[in-house]
Amino acid sequence: MTRYIIRRLLQFIPSMILIAFVGFLIMELPPGDYVTDYIRAQTLGGNRDAATQEAAMREQFGLDKPFLLRFADWTTNLLRGDFGISLATGTSVREIIESKLGATVAVSLCAFILSWAIGIALGVYSATHQYSKADNFLTTISFIGLGLPDFLIALAFLVFAWQLNGEVLTGLQSSEYIGKPFSIGLLLDFLKHLWLPVTAVVLTGMAWVMRVMRANLLNELGKNYVTALRAKGLPERTVIWKHAFRNALHPLIGALSQTLAFLVNGFVITSVVLDLPTIQVTYLDATQAQDLYLAGTILTFIGFLVLLGTLVSDLLLAWLDPRIRFA
Amino acid sequence: MAVLPKAGNQTTKRIARKADEAKLISIRRLMWLRFKRNRLAVVGGAFLVVMYLAAIFAGFIAPNDPTLVHSQYVSMPPYGLNFVDTSGNFHLIPFVYGVKSAVDPKTFRKTFKIIPEEKYPLQFFVRGPEYTILGFIKTDIHLFGVEAPGTLFLFGTDSQGRDIFSRVWYGAQVSLSVGLLGVFLTLVFGSIIGIASGYIGGLFDDAVQRIIELLMSFPQLPLWLALAALIPDNWPSDRIYFAITLVLAILSWGALARQTRSMVYALREADFVTAARYSNCSDWRIITRHLLPNTMSHIIVIATTAIPGMIMGETALSFLGLGIRSPLVSWGLLLSDAQHVRVLLQQPWILTPAIFVIATIIAFNFLGDGLRDAADPFAK
Repeated sequence: MTRYIIRRLLQFIPSMILIAFVGFLIMELPPGDYVTDYIRAQTLGGNRDAATQEAAMREQFGLDKPFLLRFADWTTNLLRGDFGISLATGTSVREIIESKLGATVAVSLCAFILSWAIGIALGVYSATHQYSKADNFLTTISFIGLGLPDFLIALAFLVFAWQLNGEVLTGLQSSEYIGKPFSIGLLLDFLKHLWLPVTAVVLTGMAWVMRVMRANLLNELGKNYVTALRAKGLPERTVIWKHAFRNALHPLIGALSQTLAFLVNGFVITSVVLDLPTIQVTYLDATQAQDLYLAGTILTFIGFLVLLGTLVSDLLLAWLDPRIRFA
Repeated sequence: MAVLPKAGNQTTKRIARKADEAKLISIRRLMWLRFKRNRLAVVGGAFLVVMYLAAIFAGFIAPNDPTLVHSQYVSMPPYGLNFVDTSGNFHLIPFVYGVKSAVDPKTFRKTFKIIPEEKYPLQFFVRGPEYTILGFIKTDIHLFGVEAPGTLFLFGTDSQGRDIFSRVWYGAQVSLSVGLLGVFLTLVFGSIIGIASGYIGGLFDDAVQRIIELLMSFPQLPLWLALAALIPDNWPSDRIYFAITLVLAILSWGALARQTRSMVYALREADFVTAARYSNCSDWRIITRHLLPNTMSHIIVIATTAIPGMIMGETALSFLGLGIRSPLVSWGLLLSDAQHVRVLLQQPWILTPAIFVIATIIAFNFLGDGLRDAADPFAK
């Protein structure tokens, strides 16, 4: 096990460097940079001295150096925990990310836990009642939910909520609660806004979990060891939950690799549509404004979370299943 | 005398063999039978055929010019077709009312009122604005429409006074073809790279696998957003269209290449490939004649399951204003008005194209499921 962990950790480092490189490269690719855009906007706005600032601005932001050198600077700073500054606002990238992370994780954690809990429960029910009416119904529903655009569902909910009681449920708080200290009213208000994005995401997210759970559990239930357990006279509950269910969980644990990244960057468009104060919106704005360090850092951060998630899920699988550990 | 029975014997044998062959079902037919068993897949497939046909004949189905601005009828809610008029009489042929627009003196918002006396019955095969089908058939006959002063806006109009119903069909041309074109590109990249990587193996295989892993370690949407931001604003819209399909395809060939590679890996050691190699077939012939046909059905199925994702990707990008731009129309672009919450709440009917997006995606999911079963007709 220790050797396995060490091997996986060693693989982690070159992948991480590559990911940082790709993240940085993609943000670099568009012709021109933030300063070009800024100067153009200023000149159009009538500021004639703008052109003279160009070189100074480039130097200040470090945009005058060659690409590889800039990348090297940026990565070493990343390691020290300094993510650079946002070109658009001048505040440090670290501050921006930290200020958004709380709301982001709150929403996505709710969505994640709910969709997995409901998905797993329905999947197990569906598999143990195969071909029953409820199973057929659930399978059809999961099919429909699979791959549905959650932002369209969120929009539909928004319209319904407005037509029901005239409330516009965008954002995560009503305007009168923003910046106020914690109270019961604030919590209720928060929950009132929270259900909308969460339900939209859960509706589409749980479909996938349910399908995987059902397929795997059915697969496990057809195996010989289950017949043996039943022949031994074990109660059905033990057969399912203690034996079959555990083995059926493997692919879901494999999918955990994407989960960490999802927590930070799932449902981008839903966030934009509902005007949530989350990191996804920041990222979208940053890519469009060519805010190099901000967008690059977030993209790299997402890639890092995928790698980390893969590592964690691999280790979990190895811990659960000796067949993987010793392979 | 001794010859005859023998000959007769042979004939009966031949007849028997023919009867046997008639009972055998070809693989293709087996796949079709298997596919037909999945009723949802058949329904999904039929729906998609209708949608694609409708997209091709968009001009015929759409009663109005999709880009024409009806300045009198800006943001008009759908009034629909009526069978029963205001005094309760039933009409066999549905009709639309004439609509009068006015500005509310207090709120300055446009209000619409139907005029009960003005009725325009629905007519079929009417002449209207000219259009072309497939770029070469020019005509002005539309499936249905109403007579001149009357207007037919089945889904209402958008905030610039354009007919949403007509725009949906023109949008279908872009939205539906993006998926097909993107998947075609994915298919070409993915299968070539996958087969090459599996067949050549060694260092090349390793390098390709690492690249794919790197690509797949980023979630799709953020990367799509970043890549879509690369497309210059000042490009003409048809070039943007191809750029978007390329962006969608760039990230999806990896998964396909992986699957193809693993299939080729398994087949490479198969007896028939070894036999082909010993009979001095060139690599090219082995790949095109032996490996490709054996992996094709699986590759096509995987590709089909990728189409809905691409349609959604296009919708999402256009919705955010990073994708298709006017004068082209796509479903995502039609929905992009809904980004402004105030507009959406006052004109919820601009969400109608969403129904088409969702129905298409569901239909593709059903179809993909049926095809997956059909590709492996011997499975239990």
